[in-house]
Amino acid sequence: MAIDPYQVLGVSKTASQEEIQKAYRKLAKKLHPDLNPGNKKAEEKFKDIGTAYDILGDPEKRARFDRGEIDATGAERPQRRYYREYADAGPQSAGAYSSDGGFADFADAGDVFADLFGRGARGRRNVRMRGGDISYRLEIEFLDAVNGAVQQLHMPDGSEIKVTIPAGTRDGQILRLKGKGQPGFNEGPPGDALIEIAVRPHPIFTRKGDDIHSELAISLGDAVLGGKVETPTTTGRVALTIPKGANTGTVLRLKGMGVPRQEGTRGDHLVTLKVMLPEHPDPELEKFVASWSGRNARPRQPAGS
Amino acid sequence: MRKDRSLGNVIIARERLEAWIEAGWIAPGVATGKEPGLSEMDIARAQLICDLKDDLGVNDEGVEVILELLDQLYGLRCAMREMMESVVRRTEG
Repeated sequence: MAIDPYQVLGVSKTASQEEIQKAYRKLAKKLHPDLNPGNKKAEEKFKDIGTAYDILGDPEKRARFDRGEIDATGAERPQRRYYREYADAGPQSAGAYSSDGGFADFADAGDVFADLFGRGARGRRNVRMRGGDISYRLEIEFLDAVNGAVQQLHMPDGSEIKVTIPAGTRDGQILRLKGKGQPGFNEGPPGDALIEIAVRPHPIFTRKGDDIHSELAISLGDAVLGGKVETPTTTGRVALTIPKGANTGTVLRLKGMGVPRQEGTRGDHLVTLKVMLPEHPDPELEKFVASWSGRNARPRQPAGS
Repeated sequence: MRKDRSLGNVIIARERLEAWIEAGWIAPGVATGKEPGLSEMDIARAQLICDLKDDLGVNDEGVEVILELLDQLYGLRCAMREMMESVVRRTEG
C-alpha cells in the first residue's frame, strides 16, 4: 500500500535532506523493534518509516518520486528478522548475550532469580517466593493522627483489616502491616501491606513537628487585666491563664500538651493570642479611650517593618 | 555508505564484522555452541548494530552502552517471563 512518505516522516515536501534525516532518526530511535521488545506494533511502523526514508533519504530517488516516476510501493522493505526475535526466544538462545546485570543485586530474591535464570538450571519447581507488597492510602482525621485510633481498611478482595494508627502519626507516614500483602508463592511468606497515611487538616489546630499550634481570641479586658480563659487542645478544653498586658501575637506555651512522641514524651501546644475589640462599638469604651492619656502613643512597630 | 536493503539481506563489510567481533559486540558460536560461524542471531545482532550506527547516528561508545543495556533488558525479560510462567503454574496447580 502506498502511503505518502512525507506524511509518514512528518516532514513537508520542501524539507531539506537534513531535516528528513533528522525526522527519520527521531522516529527510528523510538520505533526500532529491537529497542522496543515489548511493542508488537513497532515493527510495522518501523518498516513504514524505513520505506519512506529509502525514498526521501536519497535525493535522486526523492526527485523521481516527486516527479511521479516511482511510487512508495516500489521501495517497500522486505521482511526482516529482528534481533529481538532471537534474544527474546527464550533462555536457550538468549543465553549468549543476555546478562543478569539488571537484577543480580536482588539479594533476597537472588536465589529465585538464579534458579529461574541460571543457565541450564531448568529443574526448579519448588522455588519459594515472598508475595508482593500492596500499597494503600488511608485518609484519617487530624485528631486520630495525634491521639491514635483504630481504623477499618477495606481491601480490594472485600475483606477488612484493622489498622492501628499510633498516636503521633504524621501526614505521609507509611504504616507496614506485616503479612497483609499478596500471598507468597510455593509456601513463601506473604508480602506486607504498606499504608500511606494522609492526615486531613483541622479547622483549629495545625501541626509543626511535635508541636500543635492554635489561635485564641481574647477580649480586651482579658488582654489588659489578665484572666483565665478556656482553650481547646487536642485532648480537650483546658483553662489558660492570660497574663496581664497580653497582646495580639503573644504566644503561650502549654508544655507537654502537643503530639505524643514514641518515647512517651509529648510536644507542646502553642496558643497564639488575638485580642478582639467588642463586636459592636461600645460608647463606654469610646468615652474612656477618648479621655485616656496614652491614646496617642505610637505602638511599637513589629520587627522588620 | 548506506547498505542496500532491497536485496533482502544486509551486506556488511567483512572488516566491520571483524571489528565488532574483536570488540566483543558479536560473539559467534557462543549462542549455538557450534564452531565459530555466524548464527542467524549473530546476523540479526549485526544488523541491529548497522541500524544504530548508520541510520541512527550512534557512535561506537553509544553502541556499546546500548548493547549492554539491551542485553540486560532481554535478560530481565527472560527472567520475568520465567517468573510469570512459574506463577501461572503455581496458581493453576
